[in-house]
Amino acid sequence: MQGVAARSSGLAQVLKATARIVPSKVEPLGAAVIQESLPFIEKPASKTHSNYALASQLPPSGFLNPRVMSGIGVSCQYRLAHTDLQVPDFDYYRKAPKEADDSIEGDNNRKAFTYLMLAGAGAPALYGTKTVITQFVSSMSASADVLALAKIEINLDEIPEGKNVTFKWRGKPLFVRHRTAEEVDKEAAVDVGSLRDPQHDTDRVKNPEWLIILGVCTHLGCVPMANAGDYGGYYCPCHGSHYDASGRIRAGPAPLNLEVPYYEFVEDNLLVVG
Amino acid sequence: MSLVSVVYKSVFRRSSTFALAIVAGAFGFERIFDPTCDAVFAYINRGKLYDDCKATFAAQGGAEEE
Repeated sequence: MQGVAARSSGLAQVLKATARIVPSKVEPLGAAVIQESLPFIEKPASKTHSNYALASQLPPSGFLNPRVMSGIGVSCQYRLAHTDLQVPDFDYYRKAPKEADDSIEGDNNRKAFTYLMLAGAGAPALYGTKTVITQFVSSMSASADVLALAKIEINLDEIPEGKNVTFKWRGKPLFVRHRTAEEVDKEAAVDVGSLRDPQHDTDRVKNPEWLIILGVCTHLGCVPMANAGDYGGYYCPCHGSHYDASGRIRAGPAPLNLEVPYYEFVEDNLLVVG
Repeated sequence: MSLVSVVYKSVFRRSSTFALAIVAGAFGFERIFDPTCDAVFAYINRGKLYDDCKATFAAQGGAEEE
């Protein structure tokens, strides 16, 4: 320790350094009231924007006064004093003491106002969001003209008993068959277990008198002929599938019964398919 | 205890009731805002809308069909 102290004393001229306190470079915001009691140390002549400018403010020492940049015991500290910062005066923006309501009641009133403003902005925002989302989602649904084409109304008075009428529905043939009581009884009596696609006649019709099916053969999509075939129903001329009067596959290559679309009897004599 | 204070304590203080209040407010806002906008639209376009000339169309249409 002794040696180090002695050595450092010999180099005292070189090692001499001071940490100077200089005014901070922060300019006060706005017009701060400068109190005369606070002493300003010094104002640097030039603004220090670069490292070189900062370094040039270091204390000079040694031969030909080179700047002490670093070394043993050399302080390169460059401290900005912050005690001379002037805090702006916010009194103008503060409520006068007589206006301020520090009671719980007054506190609640202030908070209620704040939250009311928030809710008042939130409700229209929520409404707007809902409207936009509804608009985009509803644009994905079918338009009115498409929906109008998706349904077909059929007047059942015009179809006599025992007759099969073909309509065009959604680009496909639609068979509407007015079945006789004889056909109804015959189809109801068929043993379901003996069928390729087991389905009872009552599962395929809402009103036993009327059979509504799509006229597309389940084999390869031909249009079957009505009142033909071995089972008194439909016969597909393409590959010889026989359907009965309930549209069920009975013979031939087709795997499934003729498809029954969704339909309902709106009035006694008005059928709506789709 | 004032009304504002009651509302603050019962509604705004809890996030759940606050969100509920916003949803209810959005409902109420829609019920007022939509008819108001429709009324403004109808007022600006009065005389041009279908409802305004429905009677005229019905009279003409009936005449043409017969």
